[in-house]
Amino acid sequence: MAGSRLEKFGTVFSRIRDLVRSGVIKPSERPVWYDVYEAFPPKREPLYVKPHFRLSSRKQESVPEIFYREDDVRAKFYELYGTGPRPLDLSKANFVSTCQRFVEKFSELKSSSDLDDSALFEETGKILLSEGVILRRRGAPPVAPESRDQVLDLKLTDMLAEQQMVDSTQTR
Amino acid sequence: MQRRRRRRPTRRRSLLTFRGIRQASMAAPTLTKGLLGLRQLRAFAVGYSCSGHQYATAASVQTPPPQTADVTDKVMTLPLEKPDFFRVSELFSLKDLFDARVHLGHKKGCRHRLMEPYLYGCRLDQDIIDLDQTVEHLQQALNFTAHVAYRGGIILFVSRRRQFVHLVESTAKDCGEYAHTRYWQGGLLTNAPIQYGPGVRLPDLIVFLSTLNNVFQQHIGIRDAAKMNIPTVGVVDSNCNPCLVTYPVPGNDDTPVAMELYCRLFRMTITRAKDKRKHMELLHGLSAPSTPSS
Repeated sequence: MAGSRLEKFGTVFSRIRDLVRSGVIKPSERPVWYDVYEAFPPKREPLYVKPHFRLSSRKQESVPEIFYREDDVRAKFYELYGTGPRPLDLSKANFVSTCQRFVEKFSELKSSSDLDDSALFEETGKILLSEGVILRRRGAPPVAPESRDQVLDLKLTDMLAEQQMVDSTQTR
Repeated sequence: MQRRRRRRPTRRRSLLTFRGIRQASMAAPTLTKGLLGLRQLRAFAVGYSCSGHQYATAASVQTPPPQTADVTDKVMTLPLEKPDFFRVSELFSLKDLFDARVHLGHKKGCRHRLMEPYLYGCRLDQDIIDLDQTVEHLQQALNFTAHVAYRGGIILFVSRRRQFVHLVESTAKDCGEYAHTRYWQGGLLTNAPIQYGPGVRLPDLIVFLSTLNNVFQQHIGIRDAAKMNIPTVGVVDSNCNPCLVTYPVPGNDDTPVAMELYCRLFRMTITRAKDKRKHMELLHGLSAPSTPSS
Protein backbone atom coordinates (compact mmCIF):
# COMPACT_ATOMS: atom_id res chain seq x y z
CA MET A 1 0.00 0.00 0.00
CA ALA A 2 1.26 3.43 -0.83
CA GLY A 3 2.07 5.78 1.98
CA SER A 4 3.70 9.06 2.82
CA ARG A 5 6.61 9.13 5.25
CA LEU A 6 6.61 12.84 5.98
CA GLU A 7 5.83 12.93 9.68
CA LYS A 8 6.61 16.64 9.95
CA PHE A 9 3.93 17.72 7.49
CA GLY A 10 0.31 17.34 8.44
CA THR A 11 -1.12 14.54 10.53
CA VAL A 12 -1.33 10.82 9.91
CA PHE A 13 -4.98 11.22 8.98
CA SER A 14 -4.55 14.21 6.69
CA ARG A 15 -1.91 12.42 4.64
CA ILE A 16 -4.01 9.27 4.15
CA ARG A 17 -7.11 11.34 3.42
CA ASP A 18 -5.31 13.27 0.73
CA LEU A 19 -3.94 10.06 -0.77
CA VAL A 20 -7.45 8.61 -0.88
CA ARG A 21 -8.80 11.81 -2.39
CA SER A 22 -6.18 11.85 -5.11
CA GLY A 23 -6.85 8.21 -5.93
CA VAL A 24 -3.47 6.75 -4.95
CA ILE A 25 -5.13 4.63 -2.26
CA LYS A 26 -8.39 2.98 -3.35
CA PRO A 27 -11.35 3.46 -1.02
CA SER A 28 -11.46 -0.29 -0.51
CA GLU A 29 -7.81 -0.24 0.55
CA ARG A 30 -8.25 2.28 3.33
CA PRO A 31 -6.55 1.42 6.61
CA VAL A 32 -8.54 -0.18 9.41
CA TRP A 33 -8.38 2.90 11.61
CA TYR A 34 -9.37 5.48 8.97
CA ASP A 35 -13.12 5.42 9.54
CA VAL A 36 -12.66 5.33 13.28
CA TYR A 37 -10.48 8.44 13.20
CA GLU A 38 -13.00 10.16 10.98
CA ALA A 39 -15.79 9.41 13.42
CA PHE A 40 -13.82 10.16 16.58
CA PRO A 41 -11.03 12.67 15.92
CA PRO A 42 -8.71 13.59 18.81
CA LYS A 43 -8.96 16.85 20.71
CA ARG A 44 -5.79 18.19 19.22
CA GLU A 45 -4.50 17.32 15.77
CA PRO A 46 -1.18 15.48 16.14
CA LEU A 47 0.83 17.99 14.14
CA TYR A 48 4.57 18.09 14.52
CA VAL A 49 5.76 21.10 16.53
CA LYS A 50 9.25 22.32 15.82
CA PRO A 51 11.38 22.53 18.94
CA HIS A 52 12.63 26.09 19.26
CA PHE A 53 14.83 27.06 22.13
CA ARG A 54 13.99 30.44 23.58
CA LEU A 55 17.10 32.21 24.69
CA SER A 56 15.21 34.73 26.79
CA SER A 57 13.49 33.48 29.93
CA ARG A 58 9.77 32.92 29.73
CA LYS A 59 7.80 36.08 30.45
CA GLN A 60 4.61 34.55 31.80
CA GLU A 61 4.24 31.51 34.00
CA SER A 62 1.54 29.49 32.32
CA VAL A 63 1.46 26.79 34.99
CA PRO A 64 0.16 28.31 38.25
CA GLU A 65 1.64 27.46 41.62
CA ILE A 66 -0.75 25.63 43.90
CA PHE A 67 -1.01 27.22 47.35
CA TYR A 68 -3.79 27.08 49.92
CA ARG A 69 -4.67 29.39 52.79
CA GLU A 70 -3.83 26.65 55.28
CA ASP A 71 -0.26 26.58 53.97
CA ASP A 72 0.61 29.52 56.28
CA VAL A 73 -0.48 27.49 59.28
CA ARG A 74 1.34 24.42 57.99
CA ALA A 75 4.55 26.37 57.46
CA LYS A 76 4.46 27.74 61.00
CA PHE A 77 3.67 24.31 62.40
CA TYR A 78 6.62 22.67 60.66
CA GLU A 79 8.96 25.48 61.66
CA LEU A 80 7.99 25.21 65.30
CA TYR A 81 7.32 21.54 65.88
CA GLY A 82 9.12 19.75 63.06
CA THR A 83 7.40 16.78 61.47
CA GLY A 84 5.36 15.95 64.56
CA PRO A 85 5.39 12.89 66.80
CA ARG A 86 3.69 10.46 64.41
CA PRO A 87 5.25 9.55 61.02
CA LEU A 88 3.10 10.02 57.91
CA ASP A 89 1.55 6.82 56.59
CA LEU A 90 0.72 7.53 52.93
CA SER A 91 -0.43 3.99 52.15
CA LYS A 92 -3.85 4.78 53.60
CA ALA A 93 -6.03 7.09 51.53
CA ASN A 94 -7.85 8.64 54.51
CA PHE A 95 -4.83 9.15 56.75
CA VAL A 96 -4.84 12.39 58.79
CA SER A 97 -1.42 13.54 59.92
CA THR A 98 -0.66 15.55 63.06
CA CYS A 99 -0.17 18.68 60.97
CA GLN A 100 -3.53 18.21 59.27
CA ARG A 101 -5.29 17.80 62.65
CA PHE A 102 -3.61 20.98 63.82
CA VAL A 103 -4.72 22.83 60.71
CA GLU A 104 -8.31 21.62 61.05
CA LYS A 105 -8.43 22.63 64.72
CA PHE A 106 -6.90 26.02 63.86
CA SER A 107 -9.48 26.74 61.16
CA GLU A 108 -12.29 25.70 63.54
CA LEU A 109 -11.04 28.08 66.21
CA LYS A 110 -10.52 30.88 63.70
CA SER A 111 -14.12 30.68 62.55
CA SER A 112 -15.47 30.52 66.11
CA SER A 113 -13.25 32.92 68.11
CA ASP A 114 -11.77 36.32 67.27
CA LEU A 115 -8.20 36.03 68.58
CA ASP A 116 -4.91 36.95 67.02
CA ASP A 117 -3.13 34.39 64.82
CA SER A 118 -0.27 33.73 67.23
CA ALA A 119 -2.67 33.44 70.16
CA LEU A 120 -4.78 31.00 68.16
CA PHE A 121 -1.63 29.02 67.48
CA GLU A 122 -0.96 28.62 71.19
CA GLU A 123 -4.60 27.77 71.82
CA THR A 124 -4.56 25.04 69.19
CA GLY A 125 -1.38 23.60 70.66
CA LYS A 126 -2.99 23.46 74.11
CA ILE A 127 -6.15 21.81 72.76
CA LEU A 128 -4.17 19.15 70.93
CA LEU A 129 -2.16 18.52 74.11
CA SER A 130 -5.39 17.96 75.96
CA GLU A 131 -6.44 15.47 73.23
CA GLY A 132 -3.28 13.48 73.83
CA VAL A 133 -1.03 14.65 71.02
CA ILE A 134 2.36 15.68 72.43
CA LEU A 135 3.96 18.43 70.40
CA ARG A 136 7.61 18.91 71.09
CA ARG A 137 9.20 22.14 70.02
CA ARG A 138 12.03 21.85 67.55
CA GLY A 139 15.52 22.84 68.77
CA ALA A 140 14.75 22.28 72.46
CA PRO A 141 17.18 19.94 74.30
CA PRO A 142 15.73 16.47 74.76
CA VAL A 143 16.90 16.29 78.43
CA ALA A 144 16.03 19.00 81.03
CA PRO A 145 19.11 20.93 82.33
CA GLU A 146 18.49 20.18 86.05
CA SER A 147 19.19 16.50 85.70
CA ARG A 148 22.74 17.05 84.43
CA ASP A 149 25.38 15.38 86.55
CA GLN A 150 27.35 17.88 88.63
CA VAL A 151 30.59 16.04 87.93
CA LEU A 152 30.39 17.27 84.34
CA ASP A 153 30.54 20.87 85.55
CA LEU A 154 33.95 20.42 87.16
CA LYS A 155 36.70 22.08 85.22
CA LEU A 156 39.77 19.85 85.37
CA THR A 157 42.16 22.53 84.10
CA ASP A 158 41.24 24.86 86.97
CA MET A 159 41.67 22.04 89.45
CA LEU A 160 45.11 21.26 88.00
CA ALA A 161 46.12 24.91 88.22
CA GLU A 162 45.01 25.03 91.86
CA GLN A 163 46.92 21.82 92.63
CA GLN A 164 50.06 23.22 91.02
CA MET A 165 49.78 26.43 93.03
CA VAL A 166 49.33 24.44 96.22
CA ASP A 167 52.37 22.29 95.34
CA SER A 168 54.53 25.33 94.55
CA THR A 169 53.62 27.01 97.86
CA GLN A 170 54.32 23.74 99.71
CA THR A 171 57.74 23.23 98.12
CA ARG A 172 58.76 26.82 98.81
CA MET B 1 32.34 -5.56 27.71
CA GLN B 2 31.60 -8.14 25.04
CA ARG B 3 29.48 -6.90 22.19
CA ARG B 4 26.35 -9.02 22.07
CA ARG B 5 25.48 -10.40 18.67
CA ARG B 6 22.05 -9.28 17.50
CA ARG B 7 19.71 -12.24 17.50
CA ARG B 8 17.41 -12.71 14.57
CA PRO B 9 13.89 -12.10 15.82
CA THR B 10 12.33 -15.35 16.96
CA ARG B 11 8.68 -16.20 16.58
CA ARG B 12 7.97 -15.33 20.23
CA ARG B 13 4.85 -13.45 21.22
CA SER B 14 6.86 -10.67 22.77
CA LEU B 15 8.51 -9.64 19.50
CA LEU B 16 6.58 -8.41 16.57
CA THR B 17 5.06 -11.39 14.82
CA PHE B 18 3.19 -10.90 11.61
CA ARG B 19 0.37 -12.60 9.89
CA GLY B 20 1.18 -13.23 6.27
CA ILE B 21 -1.92 -11.58 4.82
CA ARG B 22 -0.89 -9.31 1.98
CA GLN B 23 -3.87 -6.97 1.82
CA ALA B 24 -3.97 -5.59 5.32
CA SER B 25 -6.95 -3.34 4.88
CA MET B 26 -9.01 -6.06 3.29
CA ALA B 27 -8.68 -8.20 6.40
CA ALA B 28 -11.88 -7.03 8.02
CA PRO B 29 -14.37 -7.90 5.27
CA THR B 30 -12.51 -11.12 4.45
CA LEU B 31 -12.66 -12.08 8.09
CA THR B 32 -16.42 -11.73 8.15
CA LYS B 33 -16.82 -13.66 4.92
CA GLY B 34 -14.47 -16.37 6.12
CA LEU B 35 -16.36 -16.83 9.38
CA LEU B 36 -19.70 -16.94 7.62
CA GLY B 37 -18.33 -19.54 5.24
CA LEU B 38 -17.06 -21.64 8.15
CA ARG B 39 -20.43 -21.56 9.81
CA GLN B 40 -22.04 -22.89 6.66
CA LEU B 41 -19.52 -25.74 6.43
CA ARG B 42 -20.10 -26.71 10.03
CA ALA B 43 -23.84 -26.89 9.46
CA PHE B 44 -23.35 -29.20 6.50
CA ALA B 45 -20.95 -31.43 8.43
CA VAL B 46 -23.48 -31.90 11.22
CA GLY B 47 -26.06 -33.04 8.71
CA TYR B 48 -23.77 -35.60 7.16
CA SER B 49 -22.11 -37.15 10.19
CA CYS B 50 -25.34 -38.14 11.97
CA SER B 51 -25.75 -41.45 10.20
CA GLY B 52 -23.68 -43.58 7.88
CA HIS B 53 -25.32 -42.91 4.53
CA GLN B 54 -25.54 -39.47 3.11
CA TYR B 55 -28.67 -37.50 3.40
CA ALA B 56 -29.60 -33.88 3.39
CA THR B 57 -32.53 -32.75 5.48
CA ALA B 58 -34.13 -29.44 4.72
CA ALA B 59 -33.36 -28.14 8.20
CA SER B 60 -29.60 -28.66 7.97
CA VAL B 61 -29.23 -27.09 4.53
CA GLN B 62 -28.93 -23.41 5.19
CA THR B 63 -29.58 -20.81 2.59
CA PRO B 64 -26.54 -18.59 2.03
CA PRO B 65 -26.94 -15.38 4.06
CA PRO B 66 -28.55 -12.71 1.92
CA GLN B 67 -26.91 -9.34 1.26
CA THR B 68 -23.46 -10.10 2.67
CA ALA B 69 -22.21 -6.64 1.83
CA ASP B 70 -25.08 -5.00 3.72
CA VAL B 71 -24.50 -7.17 6.75
CA THR B 72 -20.80 -6.32 6.75
CA ASP B 73 -21.65 -2.66 6.40
CA LYS B 74 -24.03 -2.81 9.31
CA VAL B 75 -21.54 -4.60 11.51
CA MET B 76 -18.88 -2.04 10.63
CA THR B 77 -20.77 1.22 10.61
CA LEU B 78 -23.20 0.70 13.48
CA PRO B 79 -20.61 1.18 16.25
CA LEU B 80 -19.38 4.43 14.70
CA GLU B 81 -22.76 6.08 15.04
CA LYS B 82 -22.82 5.99 18.82
CA PRO B 83 -20.44 8.16 20.86
CA ASP B 84 -19.57 5.41 23.37
CA PHE B 85 -20.57 2.13 21.80
CA PHE B 86 -18.31 0.03 24.03
CA ARG B 87 -19.13 2.02 27.20
CA VAL B 88 -15.49 2.63 28.01
CA SER B 89 -16.33 5.58 30.24
CA GLU B 90 -17.78 3.12 32.75
CA LEU B 91 -14.43 1.37 33.14
CA PHE B 92 -12.80 4.10 35.22
CA SER B 93 -13.58 7.24 37.19
CA LEU B 94 -11.63 10.30 38.26
CA LYS B 95 -11.31 8.88 41.78
CA ASP B 96 -9.67 5.72 40.40
CA LEU B 97 -7.13 7.86 38.57
CA PHE B 98 -6.44 9.87 41.72
CA ASP B 99 -6.01 6.76 43.87
CA ALA B 100 -3.61 5.34 41.31
CA ARG B 101 -1.56 8.58 41.58
CA VAL B 102 -1.95 9.37 37.89
CA HIS B 103 -1.92 13.11 38.61
CA LEU B 104 1.66 13.17 39.90
CA GLY B 105 4.12 14.54 37.39
CA HIS B 106 7.84 15.19 37.52
CA LYS B 107 9.60 18.21 38.97
CA LYS B 108 9.32 21.68 37.47
CA GLY B 109 12.78 21.50 35.89
CA CYS B 110 11.86 18.39 33.86
CA ARG B 111 8.73 19.89 32.41
CA HIS B 112 8.24 19.75 28.65
CA ARG B 113 7.00 22.98 27.09
CA LEU B 114 4.21 21.22 25.18
CA MET B 115 2.81 19.53 28.29
CA GLU B 116 1.92 22.83 29.91
CA PRO B 117 -1.71 22.87 28.68
CA TYR B 118 -2.28 19.51 30.36
CA LEU B 119 -0.97 20.55 33.79
CA TYR B 120 -3.26 21.66 36.60
CA GLY B 121 -0.53 23.42 38.53
CA CYS B 122 2.75 23.09 40.34
CA ARG B 123 2.77 22.19 44.04
CA LEU B 124 6.12 22.86 45.72
CA ASP B 125 7.93 22.35 42.40
CA GLN B 126 6.13 19.11 41.52
CA ASP B 127 3.87 19.23 38.45
CA ILE B 128 0.28 18.12 38.98
CA ILE B 129 -1.51 16.83 35.88
CA ASP B 130 -5.10 17.99 35.31
CA LEU B 131 -7.21 14.90 35.85
CA ASP B 132 -10.31 16.40 34.23
CA GLN B 133 -8.44 16.54 30.94
CA THR B 134 -6.92 13.11 31.55
CA VAL B 135 -10.37 11.59 31.93
CA GLU B 136 -11.48 12.96 28.56
CA HIS B 137 -8.28 11.98 26.79
CA LEU B 138 -8.26 8.50 28.29
CA GLN B 139 -11.85 7.95 27.28
CA GLN B 140 -11.10 8.97 23.70
CA ALA B 141 -8.01 6.76 23.61
CA LEU B 142 -9.83 3.72 24.96
CA ASN B 143 -12.72 4.29 22.57
CA PHE B 144 -10.35 4.41 19.60
CA THR B 145 -8.53 1.26 20.78
CA ALA B 146 -11.85 -0.54 21.17
CA HIS B 147 -12.98 0.36 17.67
CA VAL B 148 -9.69 -0.73 16.13
CA ALA B 149 -9.82 -4.03 18.03
CA TYR B 150 -13.45 -4.45 16.95
CA ARG B 151 -12.40 -4.18 13.31
CA GLY B 152 -9.71 -6.80 13.74
CA GLY B 153 -6.76 -4.44 13.81
CA ILE B 154 -3.38 -5.44 15.20
CA ILE B 155 -2.43 -3.57 18.37
CA LEU B 156 1.16 -3.33 19.53
CA PHE B 157 2.04 -2.41 23.11
CA VAL B 158 5.37 -0.62 23.50
CA SER B 159 7.15 0.36 26.67
CA ARG B 160 10.83 0.69 27.34
CA ARG B 161 10.56 0.69 31.14
CA ARG B 162 12.28 -2.40 32.41
CA GLN B 163 10.27 -2.32 35.60
CA PHE B 164 7.04 -3.05 33.69
CA VAL B 165 8.25 -5.34 30.93
CA HIS B 166 6.55 -8.40 32.38
CA LEU B 167 3.33 -6.53 33.07
CA VAL B 168 3.07 -5.17 29.53
CA GLU B 169 3.90 -8.50 27.93
CA SER B 170 1.36 -10.39 30.04
CA THR B 171 -1.29 -7.74 29.26
CA ALA B 172 -0.69 -8.17 25.54
CA LYS B 173 -0.83 -11.94 25.88
CA ASP B 174 -4.12 -11.78 27.77
CA CYS B 175 -5.77 -9.63 25.12
CA GLY B 176 -4.44 -11.67 22.25
CA GLU B 177 -2.41 -8.75 20.91
CA TYR B 178 1.29 -8.01 20.62
CA ALA B 179 3.97 -6.32 22.68
CA HIS B 180 7.47 -5.00 22.03
CA THR B 181 9.32 -4.10 25.19
CA ARG B 182 12.90 -4.74 24.10
CA TYR B 183 15.43 -2.76 22.12
CA TRP B 184 13.76 -1.16 19.12
CA GLN B 185 15.78 -1.94 16.03
CA GLY B 186 16.07 0.98 13.62
CA GLY B 187 14.16 -0.48 10.70
CA LEU B 188 11.49 -2.34 12.62
CA LEU B 189 8.60 -0.45 11.02
CA THR B 190 10.33 1.47 8.27
CA ASN B 191 12.31 -1.46 6.91
CA ALA B 192 9.92 -4.25 7.83
CA PRO B 193 9.60 -6.04 4.45
CA ILE B 194 13.38 -6.53 4.33
CA GLN B 195 13.88 -7.40 7.99
CA TYR B 196 10.92 -9.72 8.36
CA GLY B 197 10.22 -10.88 4.84
CA PRO B 198 7.89 -9.58 2.13
CA GLY B 199 4.16 -9.30 2.68
CA VAL B 200 4.45 -8.41 6.34
CA ARG B 201 1.43 -6.79 8.03
CA LEU B 202 2.27 -3.81 10.22
CA PRO B 203 0.29 -2.95 13.36
CA ASP B 204 -2.82 -0.80 12.94
CA LEU B 205 -2.40 0.87 16.32
CA ILE B 206 0.57 1.28 18.64
CA VAL B 207 -0.07 1.86 22.34
CA PHE B 208 2.84 3.45 24.19
CA LEU B 209 2.64 2.85 27.91
CA SER B 210 5.68 5.08 28.27
CA THR B 211 6.79 7.38 25.44
CA LEU B 212 10.38 7.67 26.62
CA ASN B 213 13.22 5.25 26.16
CA ASN B 214 15.92 4.37 28.66
CA VAL B 215 17.87 7.58 28.13
CA PHE B 216 14.88 9.90 28.59
CA GLN B 217 14.52 10.74 24.92
CA GLN B 218 11.41 10.31 22.86
CA HIS B 219 10.95 6.70 21.79
CA ILE B 220 11.83 6.17 18.13
CA GLY B 221 8.59 4.27 17.68
CA ILE B 222 6.54 7.46 17.86
CA ARG B 223 8.33 9.05 14.94
CA ASP B 224 8.36 5.78 13.00
CA ALA B 225 4.64 5.22 13.53
CA ALA B 226 3.95 8.73 12.24
CA LYS B 227 6.15 7.97 9.24
CA MET B 228 4.34 4.73 8.46
CA ASN B 229 0.91 6.37 8.99
CA ILE B 230 0.05 4.29 12.04
CA PRO B 231 -1.98 6.07 14.75
CA THR B 232 -0.58 5.99 18.27
CA VAL B 233 -2.06 6.10 21.75
CA GLY B 234 0.46 7.16 24.38
CA VAL B 235 0.66 7.86 28.11
CA VAL B 236 2.57 11.15 28.25
CA ASP B 237 4.15 12.26 31.51
CA SER B 238 5.11 15.86 32.25
CA ASN B 239 8.58 15.37 30.72
CA CYS B 240 7.35 13.86 27.41
CA ASN B 241 6.65 15.40 24.01
CA PRO B 242 2.99 14.82 23.07
CA CYS B 243 2.95 16.47 19.65
CA LEU B 244 3.26 13.40 17.41
CA VAL B 245 1.08 11.08 19.53
CA THR B 246 -2.37 10.82 17.91
CA TYR B 247 -4.30 10.22 21.15
CA PRO B 248 -2.12 11.36 24.06
CA VAL B 249 -3.18 10.54 27.61
CA PRO B 250 -1.50 12.91 30.08
CA GLY B 251 -0.67 10.90 33.19
CA ASN B 252 1.96 9.37 35.40
CA ASP B 253 3.98 6.61 33.75
CA ASP B 254 6.39 5.85 36.61
CA THR B 255 4.26 4.53 39.48
CA PRO B 256 3.46 0.80 39.42
CA VAL B 257 -0.14 1.43 40.53
CA ALA B 258 -0.74 3.76 37.61
CA MET B 259 0.80 1.34 35.09
CA GLU B 260 -1.31 -1.51 36.41
CA LEU B 261 -4.37 0.66 36.01
CA TYR B 262 -3.56 1.47 32.38
CA CYS B 263 -2.80 -2.15 31.54
CA ARG B 264 -6.01 -3.30 33.15
CA LEU B 265 -8.05 -0.68 31.28
CA PHE B 266 -6.53 -1.54 27.90
CA ARG B 267 -6.96 -5.23 28.49
CA MET B 268 -10.61 -4.81 29.44
CA THR B 269 -11.34 -2.54 26.46
CA ILE B 270 -9.77 -4.86 23.91
CA THR B 271 -11.44 -7.97 25.33
CA ARG B 272 -14.76 -6.15 25.41
CA ALA B 273 -14.38 -4.99 21.82
CA LYS B 274 -13.53 -8.46 20.54
CA ASP B 275 -16.43 -10.03 22.41
CA LYS B 276 -18.74 -7.39 21.02
CA ARG B 277 -17.55 -8.20 17.53
CA LYS B 278 -18.44 -11.88 17.94
CA HIS B 279 -21.76 -10.74 19.36
CA MET B 280 -22.57 -8.51 16.42
CA GLU B 281 -21.65 -11.18 13.93
CA LEU B 282 -23.95 -13.65 15.62
CA LEU B 283 -26.70 -11.07 15.67
CA HIS B 284 -26.47 -10.04 12.04
CA GLY B 285 -24.69 -12.93 10.40
CA LEU B 286 -27.07 -15.80 10.98
CA SER B 287 -30.43 -15.38 9.30
CA ALA B 288 -31.57 -18.71 10.88
CA PRO B 289 -34.25 -18.58 13.58
CA SER B 290 -31.72 -19.19 16.35
CA THR B 291 -32.26 -16.76 19.20
CA PRO B 292 -29.59 -14.05 19.10
CA SER B 293 -27.78 -13.65 22.41
CA SER B 294 -27.90 -9.98 23.36
